[in-house]
Amino acid sequence: MTVTTPAPNPARFIRADGPDKVTGSGRYTADLTLTGMLAAKFKYAGIAHGRITRLDTTAAKAIPGVFAVLTQADVPNVRFGPFVQDRTLFADGVVRFEAEIVAAVAAVDAATAQRAVDAIVVEYELLPVVNDPETALAADAPLVHTDWASYGASGALVRERNDASFSSIAKGDVERGMAEAAVVVRSRYDADGCHAAPIEPRAIVAQWEGDKVTIWTSTQVPYDARAGVCETLELPANRVRIIVPHLGGGFGGKCGFHFEAHIAALAKAARRPVRLLFSRREEFLAPDKRRESICYDFETGVSSDGRIVARRVTLVLDNGAYTADAGFFSQLGAMHALGPYRIPNLLAEAHLAYTNHQPSGSVRAPTAPQTCWALESHTDEVARAIGMDPVAFRQLNAVDTGLEGPTGQIYGEIGVQECIERAARMAGYGQQLPDDEAIGVAIGWWPSFAVPSGAYVKIDGDGSAQIITGAQECGTGSVMTLPQLAADELGMSAADFQLVYQDTSVAPYDMGATGSQTLFNNGRAVIAAAAQIAQQLRALAADHLEADPADIVLADGQAFVAGTPGRAVPIATLAGIAAGGELLIGHGSGMPPGPPPISGSTCVGDAGMAAWVAPQFSCHAVRVKLDRDTGVARIMHVAAAHDSGTIINPLGAEGQVQGGVLMGIGQALTEGTGYDNEAHQRTAGLLDYKLQTCADAPPIDIHFVQINTPNAGPRGAKGLAEAPNVATAAAIANAIAQLVGAPVRQLPMTAERVWDTLQEVAQNTIGGAA
Amino acid sequence: MSESIILSVNGMQYPVTIDQGRNLLSVIRGEVGLTGTKEGCDDCECGACMVLLDGQPVNSCSYLALQAQGREITTVEGVLNGDAMHPLQRNLLEAGGVQCGFCTPGMIMSATALLQRTPAPTEEEVRVGLSGNLCRCTGYTKIVEAVQRTAAELQGS
Repeated sequence: MTVTTPAPNPARFIRADGPDKVTGSGRYTADLTLTGMLAAKFKYAGIAHGRITRLDTTAAKAIPGVFAVLTQADVPNVRFGPFVQDRTLFADGVVRFEAEIVAAVAAVDAATAQRAVDAIVVEYELLPVVNDPETALAADAPLVHTDWASYGASGALVRERNDASFSSIAKGDVERGMAEAAVVVRSRYDADGCHAAPIEPRAIVAQWEGDKVTIWTSTQVPYDARAGVCETLELPANRVRIIVPHLGGGFGGKCGFHFEAHIAALAKAARRPVRLLFSRREEFLAPDKRRESICYDFETGVSSDGRIVARRVTLVLDNGAYTADAGFFSQLGAMHALGPYRIPNLLAEAHLAYTNHQPSGSVRAPTAPQTCWALESHTDEVARAIGMDPVAFRQLNAVDTGLEGPTGQIYGEIGVQECIERAARMAGYGQQLPDDEAIGVAIGWWPSFAVPSGAYVKIDGDGSAQIITGAQECGTGSVMTLPQLAADELGMSAADFQLVYQDTSVAPYDMGATGSQTLFNNGRAVIAAAAQIAQQLRALAADHLEADPADIVLADGQAFVAGTPGRAVPIATLAGIAAGGELLIGHGSGMPPGPPPISGSTCVGDAGMAAWVAPQFSCHAVRVKLDRDTGVARIMHVAAAHDSGTIINPLGAEGQVQGGVLMGIGQALTEGTGYDNEAHQRTAGLLDYKLQTCADAPPIDIHFVQINTPNAGPRGAKGLAEAPNVATAAAIANAIAQLVGAPVRQLPMTAERVWDTLQEVAQNTIGGAA
Repeated sequence: MSESIILSVNGMQYPVTIDQGRNLLSVIRGEVGLTGTKEGCDDCECGACMVLLDGQPVNSCSYLALQAQGREITTVEGVLNGDAMHPLQRNLLEAGGVQCGFCTPGMIMSATALLQRTPAPTEEEVRVGLSGNLCRCTGYTKIVEAVQRTAAELQGS
């Protein structure tokens, strides 16, 4: 039973940054120029693994117009990384992936900078290339980091040689569960890596004034970027100012600390402002944020009445050359491989393997879409093996309100069962379809992230207001929704508020546009800040109207005495009074909700992902049409049902689901990172790495199961930006498997791979008949 | 080798001195000083740099600035009706067709060309007409809605 809460603000929503964006007047980082500004270029390794035997920048420095050439010898000797301190700004004697930065140049223009990069002499002793995550874990595999044991690391991580983070989740007795099962199904799946691919390639501008640096950068996480600059260049936080102009998308690819310190160091050495503009190829190769490839071995036992009694699953994730923010991915991947199911006996083991690939990192719902794809493909295999309908099998085995998840977390009111029912109904599941069409169904889940966050609110003497927030807008509209929350608290209109945001020197901390956390946490902060002003306004109005402050109501831009609307004063008048005395300034943060308890499970390598605050659930049902002659799949219709708690901004929420679904279609069919035998990416351009176009996009029907969730975000909201990206590829896979007669065991399920599977099925059928 | 030419952008004449190999995109952004037109790939794949040349949509990253002499160039900054938004701009906002906004200028130029060519496009015609512009945020649904609403508005007026 779920309680549907109507959207509090059904009024038409126009995002505050919209006029900037549709008129072309909005500035993105690449649009900025400063007097005397130089162009930056990086010298990349070009090989996947090697020891530097010679590095000579003499000729590069001698080129007229070159102002600075930097290598690791020119910056503080700091090893950094959020989970494992395995990285330096520039290669420190060894290069470990093809786009590792060996040197950086600042020159009068981009062409001169490139000539200088080409003039840098680097010679290498080639080292063995670790190109496969599974073989990287072998006892005799070459090490990506020979000094791994001496690196600083988060105490929660379990590390051994090329395994940068081992994690396991165990509950019950998996051996006994398997022995008691009526049927045991084993499956192997392999998911290729893929990319965030925001349309804006990243850009950075850095300028020093005295001993302070201002950095304009296309990051999703300004405070994280600041922390990285401070750590690597050994600066206090109050001398580094990060400003994000409009951000042209991120999808996780612009999370983390990336190149801000390189450009700040160049600007300092050159004594000039310096700008970095990435090419599309660099955007594919260099950031330490590629969705991790993962291979899976599943084993699930079911009883004769269709209940899951045991699951054993092993995951090997590709960490790439450096750990970046992937330290918690092994545990997160393990949670997704167990899935939102009731399983009494289970064992999940996950390894994060170093390779000589681009580092992995938090692309939209890290580990989730590919693991959901593998798990839900396996789930359909299990359902088929005992002759059950896949939807009925999920309804029987999925978690529900008051029941227990894989780590023993007991859920409050959740809407996963309603999601299944709604998505199946919207898709027309069970209807008669042409021979070349089928509907696949998958369920997914994703945590909300409860973290600290801050904001200020002020009302000036004329009654106009500002929200000054640490939150970062990456396009989702989360920051754009904040004025409505403040307005409702103060009885004002959203249009009364202007936003000041994305500047670390003016606003308090926020984690950034990451983890679907903005509205969840910064919404709490803005409401708390507005509440302080509301209290001030009630006191001022009480004085003005000769009433008790407790009787003052703020609504429609006025303060009035409850029950006596005639005794009223405009908030703007009160703001004018305050401007001559105690100013109307509020600050807010609020305590984030704590993690829910878990019991009955054992988690090794616990990175904090075993218990999920305000978990989100979804079910996607996708109708697919397959051309069996070519293997080309076309997505005809998507039904997406989501429990993300209360929906505060319906227009923005729909946009998140539509965008997440289309990204999921790309991941399902066309988006995959390919490597050659020397660990060079083969797909580092939009011609080879195909994003979905407008002509590819299917109709998408959406339903929100709205539960006013306690211990969640404002008004019972959960996160939403990542969840829509979780279940689409899985649902597509289950439709394709029906049409092909077997699952396609590698992601993306390209036309070639689908066709290959069709041929295997045909051969097996012929072989079986003979 | 440099050459001095005059480019006509949004009805204004801009004398510029440029290297002959410069693409139109870099000259619009760097010399003319209009940064609404974006660079997303420099490879004709993403459409963020779309401008109109005598009303025809062109990826300005792959078009020599010299070739644009004597032709009327329209960028996103030229779409406004004076200070008022064009219905397409307003509908994009009201329909929710803008998220990060980086593809938006190119999308607006392609849609403008489409509506000039086909004033009452079917949904399929809108989808094909915008298929040269990649958007990673929206899933395109609300952009298509905005273009259809605009077509209906312009037809009705």
